Amino acid sequence: MKELVRLTDVTKVYQGGITGALNGVSLAVEKGEFTAIMGPSGSGKSTMLNLVAGLDRPTSGSVSVSGTDLGKLGETGLARFRRDHIGFVFQFFYLLPNLTALENVLIPAQLKGDGSTDRGRELLEKLGIADVADRYPARLSGGQQQRVAVARALINNPTLLLADEPTGALDTHTGEQVMELLGDLHREGQTILLVTHDAKLATRHAARVISVMDGKIVDDARLASPERAPSEVIRMRSEEKLR
Amino acid sequence: MSLKYGVLGLLKGEPLHGYEVKNRFEAMLGGTWEVNIGQIYTTLQRLERDGLVRPVGARGDRGKLAYELSPDGHKALEQWLAEPDSGPQQLHEDIYVKLLLATRIANGGLQPMLARQKRAYLQRLRDLNRLEERARRDGRLDLARLIRGALLHTEADLKWMDELSSERFGAEAAKTE
Repeated sequence: MKELVRLTDVTKVYQGGITGALNGVSLAVEKGEFTAIMGPSGSGKSTMLNLVAGLDRPTSGSVSVSGTDLGKLGETGLARFRRDHIGFVFQFFYLLPNLTALENVLIPAQLKGDGSTDRGRELLEKLGIADVADRYPARLSGGQQQRVAVARALINNPTLLLADEPTGALDTHTGEQVMELLGDLHREGQTILLVTHDAKLATRHAARVISVMDGKIVDDARLASPERAPSEVIRMRSEEKLR
Repeated sequence: MSLKYGVLGLLKGEPLHGYEVKNRFEAMLGGTWEVNIGQIYTTLQRLERDGLVRPVGARGDRGKLAYELSPDGHKALEQWLAEPDSGPQQLHEDIYVKLLLATRIANGGLQPMLARQKRAYLQRLRDLNRLEERARRDGRLDLARLIRGALLHTEADLKWMDELSSERFGAEAAKTE
């Protein structure tokens, strides 16, 4: 498999506080992997995602994505890198309220000089929200807003899809649907890095779970997916004494 | 989980003989509990002795005897279904005792044990997710609900490991008596 992301001894120090700081993190992610990053609030998991996205720079150490050392890029280069390689899905969607769903989806393509609406409509269709293409975000449910945000993240065919607590603002059922969507994208070959609190959802879709605590990676688990008989997974047993 | 009431519940629908009870019981449990036919016969005999089931008709071919619920059996089943499970919490897994022992033996150094256990729980979550998917695909909503319960329990176990791993608990001096 081809390596897509590499963090080498990355440190991030924030002025005036330690929350979210990173302390010597090294990590490699391969193309096509679905990786979940888990950890308590302030453990640094979102910081990792922001560094990979080129939204933030490390204090020391290096971050490279798709062979590009992000530390070597200036602000313009970094903006172009984000536009061409990164799709980002946030907890609170961050759709522009004065644009319709379709217009929101098209923003990254327009930044690239692509004025076509075809792929935007195609994505909305694929994500099951074609019928709300012309609605404004205020008239969309949370689940619909997040689907729009996913479509926006995908419009430029990103090398890497990053999602920071994408189900955090959604109810259980809607959250499952959004995660199902990410699972589908992964099966189509999309590389995904997901930050989440929800271990149930993370382990359903991601075969790799990285645990972060106090700015360090404390575990990197690759989960197996064998076909197990039900009794190997759950064992119900009778504790009553036969009398 | 009770084999006795499981059998009573299955007989509420229609009279069944031993093998039918075994097959339906195992199908209901979705393969999470395999019972041997001996346990079923013993259970049926005890239920008959206690007046909760009674044989229907004569022995069929190869000595098969079907049972149905008696009025007392109906009452016992209804009572059992109406009662909440209010007994002590059942903690069967070894980790609970390992944790207590490790506190003494490893002089409070639990981290390696917690890390290993955490991985096992992550793998279990993945396996349970697979099982739930399969149950839903098979249209077994009842089984999917049960697996969902197991998923949430395992999530709690995982949170417990995280809590034990965090500094707040790690820094406390372990008191063992």
